[in-house]
Amino acid sequence: MKPRTARLASLGITVGFAAFPAGFATAAPVFEKDVRPILKAHCFHCHGEDGEKKGDLDVRLARFLVKGGKSGPALVAGKPAESHLLEVLKSGEMPKEKPKLSDQDIATIEQWILAGAPTARPEPETLGPEHQFTEEERGWWSLQPIQRPEVPAKKDPREQNPIDAFVRVELEKQGLSFSDEADPATLARRLAFDLTGLPPGAVIGDEDSITDYGSLLTELLASPHYGERWGRHWLDVAGYADSEGFNEKDTERPHAWKYRDYVIAALNRDKPYHEFVREQLAGDEIAAKLGLNADSPTDEDKARYAELITATGFLRMAPDGTQTENTLLSRNANIVDTMKIVSNAFYGMTIHCAECHDHRYDPITQRDYYELRAVFEPGFNPAAWRNPAQRLVSLQTKEQKAAAAAVEAEAKKIDDARLAKQEEFITEVLEKELAKRDEAVREPLRKAFRTVAKDRTPEQLALLKQHPTVEKLNAGSLYLYDTTYKTKHADTLKKMTEEAAAVRAKKPKEELVHAFGELPAKPEAIPATFLFFRGNPESPKDKVSPSDLDVLSGWREAAIPAKLAELPTSGRRLAFAEMLTDGKHPLLARVIVNRVWMHHFGTGLVKTPADFGHLGEKPSHPELLDWLASEFMAKGWSLKELHRLILSSHTWRQKSDRDAERDRIDPDNRYLSRQNKRRLEAEVLRDALLVVSGKLNPKAGGTPVPVMLTEEGQVVLGVDTMDTAGRQTGKYIPLNGEEFRRSVYVQIRRSRPLEMFATFDAPDMTTPNCEVRPVTTVSPQSLLLMNNLGMREFAQHFGERMMKECGDASVEEQVRHAWRLVYGREPVTEEAEAAAAFLTMQTAHYTVEPAKFEKSAGPAEANPAPARVMGLAALGHALMSANEFLYLD
Amino acid sequence: MLTRRHFLERGYGLGGIALATLLQEQGLLANPTLSGDAHQSYDNLPKAPPSFGKAKAMISMFMQGGPSHIDLFDPKPELNRLDGKDFPGEVKYDDAAGASREVMGCPWKFSKHGESGMDFSELVPNMAGIADDITMIRSMHTGVNNHGQSINALHNGSILTGRPTLGSWVTYGLGSENQNLPAYVALTDPRGLPVLGVDNFTNGWLPSVYQGTVIRPKEPRILNLDPPMSLKGAAQERYLDFVGGLNRRHLEERPGETELEARIQSFELAARMQVAAKEALDLSQESEATKAMYGIGVKETDDFGTRCLIARRLIERGVRFVSIFTGNQTWDNHTSILTSLPAACVYVDKPAAALVRDLKQRGLLDTTIVHWGGEMGRLPVIQNRAGAAKGDRKSVGRDHNTYGFSMWVAGGGFKGGHTHGATDEFGHKAVENVVNHFDYHATLLHLFGLDPKSLVYKRNGTDQSLITDPTARVVRELLA
Repeated sequence: MKPRTARLASLGITVGFAAFPAGFATAAPVFEKDVRPILKAHCFHCHGEDGEKKGDLDVRLARFLVKGGKSGPALVAGKPAESHLLEVLKSGEMPKEKPKLSDQDIATIEQWILAGAPTARPEPETLGPEHQFTEEERGWWSLQPIQRPEVPAKKDPREQNPIDAFVRVELEKQGLSFSDEADPATLARRLAFDLTGLPPGAVIGDEDSITDYGSLLTELLASPHYGERWGRHWLDVAGYADSEGFNEKDTERPHAWKYRDYVIAALNRDKPYHEFVREQLAGDEIAAKLGLNADSPTDEDKARYAELITATGFLRMAPDGTQTENTLLSRNANIVDTMKIVSNAFYGMTIHCAECHDHRYDPITQRDYYELRAVFEPGFNPAAWRNPAQRLVSLQTKEQKAAAAAVEAEAKKIDDARLAKQEEFITEVLEKELAKRDEAVREPLRKAFRTVAKDRTPEQLALLKQHPTVEKLNAGSLYLYDTTYKTKHADTLKKMTEEAAAVRAKKPKEELVHAFGELPAKPEAIPATFLFFRGNPESPKDKVSPSDLDVLSGWREAAIPAKLAELPTSGRRLAFAEMLTDGKHPLLARVIVNRVWMHHFGTGLVKTPADFGHLGEKPSHPELLDWLASEFMAKGWSLKELHRLILSSHTWRQKSDRDAERDRIDPDNRYLSRQNKRRLEAEVLRDALLVVSGKLNPKAGGTPVPVMLTEEGQVVLGVDTMDTAGRQTGKYIPLNGEEFRRSVYVQIRRSRPLEMFATFDAPDMTTPNCEVRPVTTVSPQSLLLMNNLGMREFAQHFGERMMKECGDASVEEQVRHAWRLVYGREPVTEEAEAAAAFLTMQTAHYTVEPAKFEKSAGPAEANPAPARVMGLAALGHALMSANEFLYLD
Repeated sequence: MLTRRHFLERGYGLGGIALATLLQEQGLLANPTLSGDAHQSYDNLPKAPPSFGKAKAMISMFMQGGPSHIDLFDPKPELNRLDGKDFPGEVKYDDAAGASREVMGCPWKFSKHGESGMDFSELVPNMAGIADDITMIRSMHTGVNNHGQSINALHNGSILTGRPTLGSWVTYGLGSENQNLPAYVALTDPRGLPVLGVDNFTNGWLPSVYQGTVIRPKEPRILNLDPPMSLKGAAQERYLDFVGGLNRRHLEERPGETELEARIQSFELAARMQVAAKEALDLSQESEATKAMYGIGVKETDDFGTRCLIARRLIERGVRFVSIFTGNQTWDNHTSILTSLPAACVYVDKPAAALVRDLKQRGLLDTTIVHWGGEMGRLPVIQNRAGAAKGDRKSVGRDHNTYGFSMWVAGGGFKGGHTHGATDEFGHKAVENVVNHFDYHATLLHLFGLDPKSLVYKRNGTDQSLITDPTARVVRELLA
């Protein structure tokens, strides 16, 4: 155990918000706050860290600088001109081989020396591990206890709840004010997409039940589509995929989808977030603690066990190449990737940057990284690694296992009988073959045939070669002799094989889960974790014990027990999960609240959702972030309550329109004087197309809709019918409506992202997860909207839908109907006129030049489609590729 | 006078090509103030630089991973003398996994080429043939730790991800001479994207119209380029006009949304690309001799040769900036450098040299900057990750070196037959006439007639520029 100095719990609080803008000081610089961070980023590596002291100089304390090294004192307090440190920094001689420090940094150091090189407090006698961070580093905003700031008094009558009060205070400081509330239609569309990823028409059942904004909000939060939409957000962070990745083989993960369904169900049931986190980190250990297993007596317990085990799939989402390439490096890569996911998801810190050396900017040591890894090491156990197939967890009960064993024994009997029969047939054929040959050769040939291949003498081999029909006789070739001897041996054997298969088919189906687990082990047998020198798994150094970040140890427990006595496994993950979700951890609640905010506004209060450290951006509204985090926990960690709070605020309900004044003062809208316009995400776009074209298949859960490559190399929905050599067979297997399921159910093959998804910025989960999606605007997206055959299919379905719903109506009425379906509003006169003209002309065009429906896969249509349908399809195609469809106001 | 307004009001389907041509024929439009005003329109119409620039376009061949300069361009007899011995100085390792102090001489022969007598090793015989057309910079330096940071340094001028890349800045400043093709194109490798993926050609916080557009490494190079049967001809023309009208109305009600405007432009561009990109990517128009020169049709060079030829065709048609990437870590020869480096060289040597020759014979080299290089070089000592016995060089490689490495540039105002700067006697650190990424960027901007003081984008009240270090200088010694 490393020493952990007890610290005043009040420390972090006193630093609190006042401390976060390090470097804002107008007073003379002090070492800990102003100078040390510069030296830490640029100089510690060679002068102080890891026992490295080039030129005998250690720069980690001010008094060490005064003492100096080989070249004498590094500084003379009060006398910049005589300070060697300044000289080498200014000349660029130091940092050696690195870019010169910025003028601002050098000026800070100069002012500090001029001021007499002050420190904030007496420096420690020695620099033990407890001194690895300064008070200033420990005081970093995101590592402080979450506060409950007082809500500012309401001022603007538009303010709906405390969120608005916090936002308004900052707006006033900037000379800005709120925009008005958006109109009801805009809000309904925004809200429906935001919460369910579908247009309002698809999710609002009975329009009469919607009397006001609040009832709409309630209905949408209760929609099962909510879990599909927000589950997708979580799956980005978790790095969910249906294939292993890592190398080009990209093996499929046939059981990963159960984790996806777990996430969707958990969100729909509003499982409290702290439980959600605990289950994903330690579901197996929770189950063990509760005494749940596959043999639990009630169905309810069995289901709960299955749920808990499935939740741990979170820790199995990282690419894992060890099925096909099991090396120390590939194993380590899986652990390293999992660590990144854990760090992104729960800490919102770049802890993974400390894999090879201490974090350059944040108070996270390399030791911290490995101490956190030690939480997961017993499960990973690189020395006794289990590949993906070996890690699958069976949910079979003892009875099912016994039943399966009984069936297997029965099948085995048939197998044995078949083998005996096969041997009998081989002997029969052999004797017939021998009978055809000279007497003299029969016995030696029989003997050669019966001799095990590797024991055959050269003479025997030569003899066999002369008699190929004997040499080649074996179980596999037996069928060939049926023709010669007019027998039906192969048939007989095949029937027996089928018989065995039929018996095996009676086995109870074994349900397997793609889960994380740990094998029970005595304390002394738990695999140790070592700090890897420079991150190299081949260079293990110190042994470390499990722990949360050491920087937190000043005001809360960080150490994690190496073994929980009450569990058969180490219990580290359970202990860690409980610590992380105890309601006092500074990061967990802040990070999730910020993520939720990001998905509601397009940008988080902290713009870098996975970096709450120095290289990330500081919160635009620190008090609001803390208030939301504390409110979230106070309301039982309910995500749905958090949504309700945010979505009820005026801040969220504002118009999204820009104006020159707002843009001048706040071009990025960080202060939220309006809502942001947002483009639909890839999956939402496809789902909206499904809805508008009338095809959405709302079936929830289950095995993913497969993807395949077309002969052109495009990735489309379909069953892969490539042969073993990777060639297209051209065989097409209809999907029978599966192709119309929501995007969250489409298979994520890391090496084969569905074209529409990849084109519209969906992650391919190779890195290994996605902290925040880019939003690009490039012409391949437009080409897809214009020309892609999948897009044509949506347009054609739309045409058919229109024919059914208003095929006999006037062109004007058809246009109005199309507007309602696609945009949820009535067209204005100008639009209606242009659309009517377009529809008429396109219909006329297809009357003169008939065209067929087109498909992205499968056999081509034989006959042209009716011109009226093609015309309506053209109208739909245009409306669905326009910006009004792609963007939310 | 055609205004932006007219441009937007005009139906811009296939029929709009005429207008684009008209605008082109009018020559360079006046340079708008690049103030980054949120209500300003952003486009890729050609813009005159504030001062005269020799360069009109650039092709960057980015060798991600870090080619070993001491085995290709920067001969160090001292290393061969010390081969197998202890390195006499200090080594800056990046990846200490297999760090050693054992010097590894260059196992390949160097010789002098061209009238200039430029040094090349036997691994790049074709590049040696263009010695007199290129400037070899032997004193490159970024001095940052790893691939990602050094890639960022060379692409966006800082070690951080998320800033606009060079190609975005150049197209932001100059637009493009061709409104029917993307202004900034990334030609990615069939073996995968380089380290940092799409960040290698991101527009960062510049408006989205300055984003690099990927042309795929295999056929179809651009997906969905052909209209489906049912949309050919007039059907699609009417569709584009109608969608254009809907989008313009939509934008009118949402003034200042550069994102919506960029989307409209990308739609218009996509429509025009259907014809223009097809033509630009149609290599059947090239002679067999040209294809052979690029190594097309020969297994090892077919891919890179094809992409180099596509790059030339794009530049010829007025595209401003083309980046050609090699695969993920192709040049990161930590292990088995004896086999992996020659393989990486064969892949690009002939095509890269052909590109320079071809541009020259077409009179395009004077106005086109060609760049060949990666984000780092390699160390003079062996890296022994596999734990091979001493003297066994089969499995060993060389670690990263961002403190001194080589790359070459040609055309667009760079000198020919010139070698600039030097590393120390071991090739470890740049010691003479050091060129860092800031200097390199300043020099490129200068050749384009741009300068970092006026090529700015306003963000949060301050002027942002590609170059963040005020000490950056135009390296005039490199200029013809």
